[in-house]
Amino acid sequence: MNLYSKPNTTVIFFLTAIYCTASNAHDPVFGLGPHTLFKGATEVHFGFDRSVAGNNKLTLSTLELAYGLTGNWTARLELPYEDRDGGANGTSDIGFATKYRFWRRDSLGVQESSSAFLKVKPNTAGNNRGTGTTDSIVGLAYGYESRKWYRWAAVRYRYNGETPGNLERGDKLLLDLAGGIRLRQSSYLEPDWVWMLELNGERTAKNELNGDKVNSSGGTEWFLSPGLMWTLRNFAIKTGAQLQVISDMNGNQAESDYRARIEFEWHL
Amino acid sequence: MKAIPLLLTSAVLLWSGMTVAAGTQYDLRVDGLACPFCAYGIEKKLKKTRGVTSVEIDLERGVVVVKAGEGAKLNEARLKQLVKDAGFTLRSMTEKPLP
Repeated sequence: MNLYSKPNTTVIFFLTAIYCTASNAHDPVFGLGPHTLFKGATEVHFGFDRSVAGNNKLTLSTLELAYGLTGNWTARLELPYEDRDGGANGTSDIGFATKYRFWRRDSLGVQESSSAFLKVKPNTAGNNRGTGTTDSIVGLAYGYESRKWYRWAAVRYRYNGETPGNLERGDKLLLDLAGGIRLRQSSYLEPDWVWMLELNGERTAKNELNGDKVNSSGGTEWFLSPGLMWTLRNFAIKTGAQLQVISDMNGNQAESDYRARIEFEWHL
Repeated sequence: MKAIPLLLTSAVLLWSGMTVAAGTQYDLRVDGLACPFCAYGIEKKLKKTRGVTSVEIDLERGVVVVKAGEGAKLNEARLKQLVKDAGFTLRSMTEKPLP
């Protein structure tokens, strides 16, 4: 697999961004939120991601299964299927994620909380799929949720592994700021709508090949991401699109056109 | 004439039995209830509790009304733990017999 070629690095760049997320419940669509499942809960989650940068297009379909170990601690398994336009398709790298809510402050109709996040993505896909490396992501998230307003902030850092071809992809730093509003305060058994707007920043270090920095790699991108959450009792649909607003990519790289996501989630 | 005390005793026992059978209502003041999707955890945890017959959630008032049948006595410590496991905070509770 030639990971140094431009199309592959762009698709892998997509994957490194998508793989950073393990959102659930009333968390942002693209950013990280502090939510955890209730104790004993099982979550079944289907997500579909579409990323386009010039001629590089990727669709990722992911089945996620999560379990609430305690009211503050969730474990998650991610089983993605990857489809590169004009390229490989098949099962992608499996992901194992966990989130621990270490702080929570509740008041009438308001919940504030903070969580720590860890995800490990081993190199399980093979055959020109996945990132070809074992990567890990750590993150911290804060969230404020009220009957009307939402706000979130998160930081994530992705440590990327080294490929067998001595290519070391640059680590990635992700920053997220998001806000949301529930225009109508629905009651418990009514359909509920929350509109969101996220600002997602990604700064990626340059790749290194045999110890030398690769000029056409890494850089900074900022996205503005409108999103929507619709829920009915224990079922949720979330969708959103990331639209690039600032791009400062190094060298000659395809800039992101857009990324879109839709997710379906059941809490059982 | 001997039948009258027996009938009265039976009537009293039947009445008191009906009263007990009606069960208990617990009104829980829960903090952190902001969204309906997350509140499902409370419904799920409480409905899995033996004897609980219904759970109603009022998000605006932060109140969860739990009705339990005869013999299903729920104490505050247990309810506090259930609410905590659901990801919220039990602030206070009251209980009253169902009519």
